Amino acid sequence: MKKTNNLTKQIGSFWAHYSYIVVMLVIMIVYAITISANGSSFRWSHITAILSSQNTCIIGTMAIGMALVVLTGQIDLSIGSSLVFTTSACIVVFNMTNSILAMIAAALIVGGILGLINGALVGLAKMPPFIATMGTMLIYRSLSLSVVRSMDTAISGSTSSQFAMLRSNSKYDFLRFSFGTGKILSIPYITLVFLLMVLLFIFVTKKTKYGKSIYAVGSNEKAAHLSGINTTFIKVSVYVVTGLLVGVASVLQACKLGNITPASSGKSYEMYAIAAIVLGGISMAGGKGNLLGVIFGALSYTTVNFIIVSIPSLTVDIQDTFQGLVLIIVILIQTLSPVLKEKAQIAKRRRLAESGK
Amino acid sequence: MKRILEMSHISKAFGGVKALTDVHLEVNEGEVHALLGENGAGKSTLMNILTGVLQADSGKITFLGKDYYTPTITQMEEAGIAFVHQELNVINDLTVVDNIFLTRELTGKFGLIDEDKEVQKTRELFESLGVKIDPTAMVRTLKTSEKQLLEICKALYTDAKLIILDEPTTSLSNEEIDHLFGILSKLREQGKSFIFISHKMPEIFTIADRYTVFRNGTFISSGDIKDTTPKDVTSDMVGTTFVDADMYEQRELGEEILKLHKLSGRGFSKISLSFRKGEIVAFTGLAGSGASELMQTMFGVLPIEGGSIEYKGKKLEGSIAHFMKNKIAMLPSNRKENSVIKDLSILENFYIAEHVLSFKKQIIKKSVEDERYEQQKKTLRIKAASSSAEITSLSGGNQQKVFLAKWLNTGAEVLLFNNPTRGVDVGAKAEIYRLILEFAKAGKTVIFNTLEIPEVQKIADRCVVFYGGKVAAILDHKDVSEKTVMGYSTGINTQR
Repeated sequence: MKKTNNLTKQIGSFWAHYSYIVVMLVIMIVYAITISANGSSFRWSHITAILSSQNTCIIGTMAIGMALVVLTGQIDLSIGSSLVFTTSACIVVFNMTNSILAMIAAALIVGGILGLINGALVGLAKMPPFIATMGTMLIYRSLSLSVVRSMDTAISGSTSSQFAMLRSNSKYDFLRFSFGTGKILSIPYITLVFLLMVLLFIFVTKKTKYGKSIYAVGSNEKAAHLSGINTTFIKVSVYVVTGLLVGVASVLQACKLGNITPASSGKSYEMYAIAAIVLGGISMAGGKGNLLGVIFGALSYTTVNFIIVSIPSLTVDIQDTFQGLVLIIVILIQTLSPVLKEKAQIAKRRRLAESGK
Repeated sequence: MKRILEMSHISKAFGGVKALTDVHLEVNEGEVHALLGENGAGKSTLMNILTGVLQADSGKITFLGKDYYTPTITQMEEAGIAFVHQELNVINDLTVVDNIFLTRELTGKFGLIDEDKEVQKTRELFESLGVKIDPTAMVRTLKTSEKQLLEICKALYTDAKLIILDEPTTSLSNEEIDHLFGILSKLREQGKSFIFISHKMPEIFTIADRYTVFRNGTFISSGDIKDTTPKDVTSDMVGTTFVDADMYEQRELGEEILKLHKLSGRGFSKISLSFRKGEIVAFTGLAGSGASELMQTMFGVLPIEGGSIEYKGKKLEGSIAHFMKNKIAMLPSNRKENSVIKDLSILENFYIAEHVLSFKKQIIKKSVEDERYEQQKKTLRIKAASSSAEITSLSGGNQQKVFLAKWLNTGAEVLLFNNPTRGVDVGAKAEIYRLILEFAKAGKTVIFNTLEIPEVQKIADRCVVFYGGKVAAILDHKDVSEKTVMGYSTGINTQR
């Protein structure tokens, strides 16, 4: 009796901390079933396809930043537009310099500045994060859009609606083919970059004083402030870190796809990133969650996409409906289970009290 | 006399901590019943059980002849019990009338709100009670005392038979208190009953008919007010073990270490005080006296508006982190709101402040942190199973000790404690006093802000009484008594 009790307790605690792994496994199993229903068998290549999907790597990398922002109890709606702006900038720099280093530096600097603007509006001007980043979301995209229309195609690298890396540059082949679509042990390099970033930030959040401050600010800002933590610095810094991660994502975007279309690329990526971190078990209320969840959240989200695409009778138009449903169901399970548990406890106590009168 | 409420054999525990053990409470129709006990005696827990906010582990409530075991909030409201909380639950951005009729608006044609009728009814009610509030005023513009009356009127409008008043007079002036008591007497004649929670003996002996005393979560005594004396009630409240003023011992004090020079800030002005190494100084004063604000200014939480703070001759001004670097620490009041970081573990809550000082060394070495924690845990006698457990798994007293440990861990020389014993049980309180004495013996300067005079008598070398943002008196240990302190803190006596 005691043993089974212990086991249920352990399962309960595993669910509480790692529900995102269970969620991903369930989604993977559903994917395997749909594949076999289509008459083929589930292979390793299906998994690498999920791993290398731009939804996993590019949105996943930005989702790390979103996770940090959300952990502090804030939000960043501008990351999709920031990705467009930053990728545009780094493609232009690449086209002009043919230098890998300059391209990466441009991505990080521009991404960092865009993040700093968000951070300053929220942390220093004390604007509500939702409104401030909604404003910059509109601005960042429209700026790239207006630049691409007026820019010389020799620099933008493409038509008047797109920034593209110049094929004539000598480093083009290396970036696009050796790195952008290259693999090691059947795992794409860009996936490795994403995983590396997650590992780095798992370390930051678990092992550094800065990381702990992020949780403290998100959990109880007042108590964090009274403990001496510079809460403004923490709140601004997570936006800057997000900007830097958008920079990394831009390099991945440029290398994987070779171009960016300001009018359409990166649309709704902020929503996908939020979905990924929520599936990854990070609380939107702040202060709670594990960065490891971002990997599983991003994979879950991509897999849901793949499932929908693999069902022939479903059109792309209905895709968002299913994505929305999956998100709502998973969150419903997460939020409802403690409520139901408490209700059951109260009912039990009531029964005990009334039978014991 | 008709009995309207009977609560019997009520017990309640939070985690492992017993808040109430087999307590009783009986209230008659048309009486003001004083519920007495020190902070942490279990009064609020019992009232929360009565109003359905908390569920009792065992026991029975009988109200107007009906039995309840684990009622809900709505059930008790409908039964006719209203709770006027200390932190008033009025909505500032609505008018007086809107507040009174909220969720039971009077409607006229087409189900629209009939505002004229509501105003009319409110006027009638106010007039019958002698309440002089404009029914159409925004609640934001009312004085605290008026908000209090508004809450009581609101309760009357729900036709409540029993109204719980939780320390209703804390922020009222003497005149306002008289006015409130006039209204209570009137309502009592109409057959309304009140449970009146207060610490102030003179008030209780003016207004209450009967009383019940709790101590440490147990029932101690009950009876008619006319058959007892303030002295007897007080000794019931504090018990025999608790009145030991023997804890205090005279010590050699060190050199002057902290000095306030004509310091002005939010809610106080031109305060000059000095503190010595190893000294224990108590700040006391009623709400609005400036004592708490002064303490917060001494830690950089509130800005300095004039004058200076000097630590060992060095002027201090700036961020909280700057004050921490200069060996000052502050344990804030209201533990749950200002100290507990609920998503962090015990260990993380412990080291978070020290990390502000050692921020340049970013990487956390868990073994080192654990060692430091274990050391503090031993000296402070913290009862906790594992340092990685959630902070909220600890009792209030042990949480508070973790926060004491957190500030000691910063290496501070001056410890500011803002209401350190609020909301912890009697046992933990005594331990906190003992610890404060130990800190002082080890050469730390302890300044604590409190509303409880017995605390001051137990441990303080000096007591600074604040009134209206100024120092009303500085009393030596031997001169501190409930009566003198009350005299200075209510502005009746003045020393200078």
